[in-house]
Amino acid sequence: MSWLSVLAGNPGRAIALLVLLVLAPLPVAAEADSVTLGVLGYRPAPLVMAKYQPLADYLSRETGRDITIRVLAQEEMDRAVASNRIDFFLTNPAHFLMIRSERSLTGVLATLQRDWNGITTGSIGGVIIARAGRSDIQTLEDLRGKSIATPGLHYLGGYQAQALELQSAGLDIRRDNRIIYLGNHDRVVRAVLTGDTDIGFIRTGVLEELLQEEPGLETALKVINAQNLRGYPFRLSTRLYPEWPLVSLPHVDSRTIRQIASALFALEPDDPAAVAAGLASFAPPADYQSVEHLTRSLRLPPYDQVPQVTWLDVLHQYRLWVAVVTVLVLLLLATSIWLGRKKRQLSRESRRLQELVASWPQPMLMIRGRALSDCNRAAVELLECRSAADMLGQPLERFSPESQPDGQDSARKLVGLLQRVQVGDVAQSEWLFCREDGSHVWVDMTLAPVYENDDDTPSVLCSWYNITRRKQAEERQRLALKVFENAREAIFITDAHGVVIDTNEAYFLITGWDRNTAIGRLPPLPVDEGSSILVAARKHGVWSGEFASRNRDGRRLILSLTLSSVVDDQGEKSHFVGVFSDITRLKETEKKLRTMAHYDALTNLPNRVLFAERLQQAMAQARRQEYRLAVLYIDLDKFKPVNDAFGHDAGDQLLVEVARRLRTVLREEDTLARLGGDEFAAIVVNVADVDAIENLMDRLLTAVAEPVWVADHMVEVSASVGYTLYPQPVELDGDQLLRQADQAMYQAKNTGRNGYCGFSGTGS
Amino acid sequence: MHRRRFLQLSLAAGLAASLPGCGRGDPLRVGIHPWIGYEPLYLAEEFGWLPDTVQLVKGSAARDSMSGLLSGQLDAAALTLDEALRVCSAGVDLRLVAVTNVSVGADMLLVRPDITAIEQLKGRAVGVELNGVSGVMLLHLLERAGLTTGDISVVDIPVDQHLEAWNNGLIDASVCYQPVAARLEQAGAVSLFDSRELPDTIFDVLAVTHRAEGRQPGPIKDLVAGHFAGYRYLVRNLHDAVYRIATRQGMAPELIRQALATVMLPDLAANQRYLAKNGTIETTAIRLAGLLEREGLMDKHPEHERIASQQFLPRRAE
Repeated sequence: MSWLSVLAGNPGRAIALLVLLVLAPLPVAAEADSVTLGVLGYRPAPLVMAKYQPLADYLSRETGRDITIRVLAQEEMDRAVASNRIDFFLTNPAHFLMIRSERSLTGVLATLQRDWNGITTGSIGGVIIARAGRSDIQTLEDLRGKSIATPGLHYLGGYQAQALELQSAGLDIRRDNRIIYLGNHDRVVRAVLTGDTDIGFIRTGVLEELLQEEPGLETALKVINAQNLRGYPFRLSTRLYPEWPLVSLPHVDSRTIRQIASALFALEPDDPAAVAAGLASFAPPADYQSVEHLTRSLRLPPYDQVPQVTWLDVLHQYRLWVAVVTVLVLLLLATSIWLGRKKRQLSRESRRLQELVASWPQPMLMIRGRALSDCNRAAVELLECRSAADMLGQPLERFSPESQPDGQDSARKLVGLLQRVQVGDVAQSEWLFCREDGSHVWVDMTLAPVYENDDDTPSVLCSWYNITRRKQAEERQRLALKVFENAREAIFITDAHGVVIDTNEAYFLITGWDRNTAIGRLPPLPVDEGSSILVAARKHGVWSGEFASRNRDGRRLILSLTLSSVVDDQGEKSHFVGVFSDITRLKETEKKLRTMAHYDALTNLPNRVLFAERLQQAMAQARRQEYRLAVLYIDLDKFKPVNDAFGHDAGDQLLVEVARRLRTVLREEDTLARLGGDEFAAIVVNVADVDAIENLMDRLLTAVAEPVWVADHMVEVSASVGYTLYPQPVELDGDQLLRQADQAMYQAKNTGRNGYCGFSGTGS
Repeated sequence: MHRRRFLQLSLAAGLAASLPGCGRGDPLRVGIHPWIGYEPLYLAEEFGWLPDTVQLVKGSAARDSMSGLLSGQLDAAALTLDEALRVCSAGVDLRLVAVTNVSVGADMLLVRPDITAIEQLKGRAVGVELNGVSGVMLLHLLERAGLTTGDISVVDIPVDQHLEAWNNGLIDASVCYQPVAARLEQAGAVSLFDSRELPDTIFDVLAVTHRAEGRQPGPIKDLVAGHFAGYRYLVRNLHDAVYRIATRQGMAPELIRQALATVMLPDLAANQRYLAKNGTIETTAIRLAGLLEREGLMDKHPEHERIASQQFLPRRAE
């Protein structure tokens, strides 16, 4: 007790002793009945010691223990706490939080209540002071860049409260200001007064205490951001926080704590101990969370470190979110991969499709507006352009003739088609294109709308099908049909059995059948050969011939038919095509001509030509059958006078009558011919001997010599006949034979007319 | 008297309809008057936690806020539940978006020391603001004592004039609340009955008009968030808050501490419970509306499917 009071009177030695105490190896707290109360030396240590010594005395008196006060700077207190050299301590809340974070403590026993001029408060705040003369420092804003004196970082009223206020005003003093740490509040005030710093941070109450000691300070200093709170006894620049806590350390036994606590709470404000320390009393522990919040807001120790958050913490705290986000990310990944693959697949597909379209053998084009926007190779090849570039951008009618075969203007027809497509229809049309070399191409063109890129007016997909060959075939077919229909020859088509399937008009004209009766029947066939000509046609491919037939009315017809078999794709003869014409009239004319060539028109006897033929035949026959024949040459005597006297008609009548008489004399198998004028010749076959001939000669001459009635006149003529026989020892032809007979006739004429004479070899 | 007042209020409500409506850019005008339960909002304003979208219109008593709502000058107000119901019955539909406090002794009956029981009020002059929460308080305590309004001499004056009336000897008793109650006590009045005896009856709420609810949902959220920011500061920094409240109300910090003890300040979770469908607020409102109607203090029973709404409460406490 006594040495402490001595020390209080001599600050310098007191500090030296305190240092010794701190360094003393044996902790005082270890003694059973002695209790050490550490007090933060917020002001010069002797001053603090003097203030709190009465409190220690009071506590000693109340508890019966030896209570020692030790005034400690913050670092000293930290060390003392660490080595358990103090049992209780009283410090500012910020420092308390620092210590608490380093050591677990039993906690706050009580909160200090200060008294000032009869007003009690349990709240502490910060004061910002400047010299009164500094007119440049009026508001918090003016503190920017100013130098600041403060007792230390872990002073609530000496640093942290001001720092928060300035932070709220947008000032970061740790970054923008020069800060000097001076250890206690008195030095801060000094530093401001001497001008070492512009600003000082001190806790509430200090200024008032100093003013008591030095009233001159009132005018020397001013308070920035003064709060003037009603009922608060001190000058103040910041918000308020709970006052200093009195804290017990864990090693203190509970009985001691109880004793100390009850003594503290029992302290009355008017007790000398309280008055000396400037404190009113101790109140139950206040809630220091506002200080914690403050320190956290400033990011000061012990809350300067952002706690190391591990992944597990995050996982634990945000389990649901992590799960949801993970699932979403996985989904996103899966979707992206899926989309990527789909995209690749799609681009592959589209490339494949493009190639397919480009190499598609059928021409395809796209039309936008009127012009071609795309086309494939087949389209280029079809129009025989050099490249697609020649076609793109051109309207379709550029490759078309002026007008289409149906007579419509190409451009106008195309516009009509495109309009139909643009309202959604699919249009189809045959179209004629004209290549550069002038050749024509027929296509079957299909136009379909294609909606791309959400356009209102669709593009037009155009495909062509080359139908040029079909068109040419159709042309040929039409021509063939025309030929078929208009031919003058009858044409018919039958099935494999010869039954008519189709015919043309000429068929009906020639046969007289109508369509209903002609179809399904056999065509006109030769009567004797019949349907065997089908067999012949099948065998040889063709049969042709002429034959007689009848039309429906029974009229005789002669038809010339060519029947061809038609081979189908399998090589089978499936059809027959027949072409026939009516040659009846032709045949009649031919017959007439033949008659005119072989017979004498006046007497209807064979003429010289037919006679020669017959003579050849008779001679051949005589040689074969070994009989004899005779050739007679007959010439009328005195015929010319008759002709001159009675005219040609009479002469002709005479000749006809003579011919008739000669004919009746000869046998049926003998031939009589008129060679010209009044000369006749005859072939007598199967001559038995010369007598028979001579007998026949006599009858001939008799028959001729009979008077003839012509032109109302009785006329008498005679004939001279020469004959020769065949065969003769020397082979000779018909002409020679006739000449022999002629010679014999002249001989007979020379010997007197109306007689006959045989050829006698060498002229006998 | 109150009838005539209500006629005027109804007239004002009619006029409100013809007033030009507030535009979207205008701030939410919130009527507020001194009351310990509304301190969080004052604190929020002081610390700048109310954005520009919210404008506090400070009146001296609840009637300022009520007439402001009815005339359309205000879009929201801090009121007691019964005051809010009266505004509804006068024609301006309100939605209750937050409970600022529940009275646990804040509303009280103060009497001259010679009166020791409620029954002795018979024939005495009782100062009361019938159209305010003290009217409800009076009804409840008379009901408790088996008296009716006819048994006493009702002096219907605004609460902020009670001290003057007391000092002038016009009233022998006062149904009032803090801080007037504290001043009356300083003037010698003693407390005979307080709202601790009427649990879960006297609520203070933040009420917004349906019109504002539809047009300014954002500012309403700002208002409620501001209240809770102030609330957090009050709870966390009580040491500082007490002095600031004391400064504003011109009273000793110690009296503020006492006053704070007479209200419960419900936190966010409690608000969620109170404002829930068929929660305490709604059931109390129905009961209270019935009582007021019966006593002729309210014209018609306001019909609301839901008078309270949780949707403007902050999602989570900071």
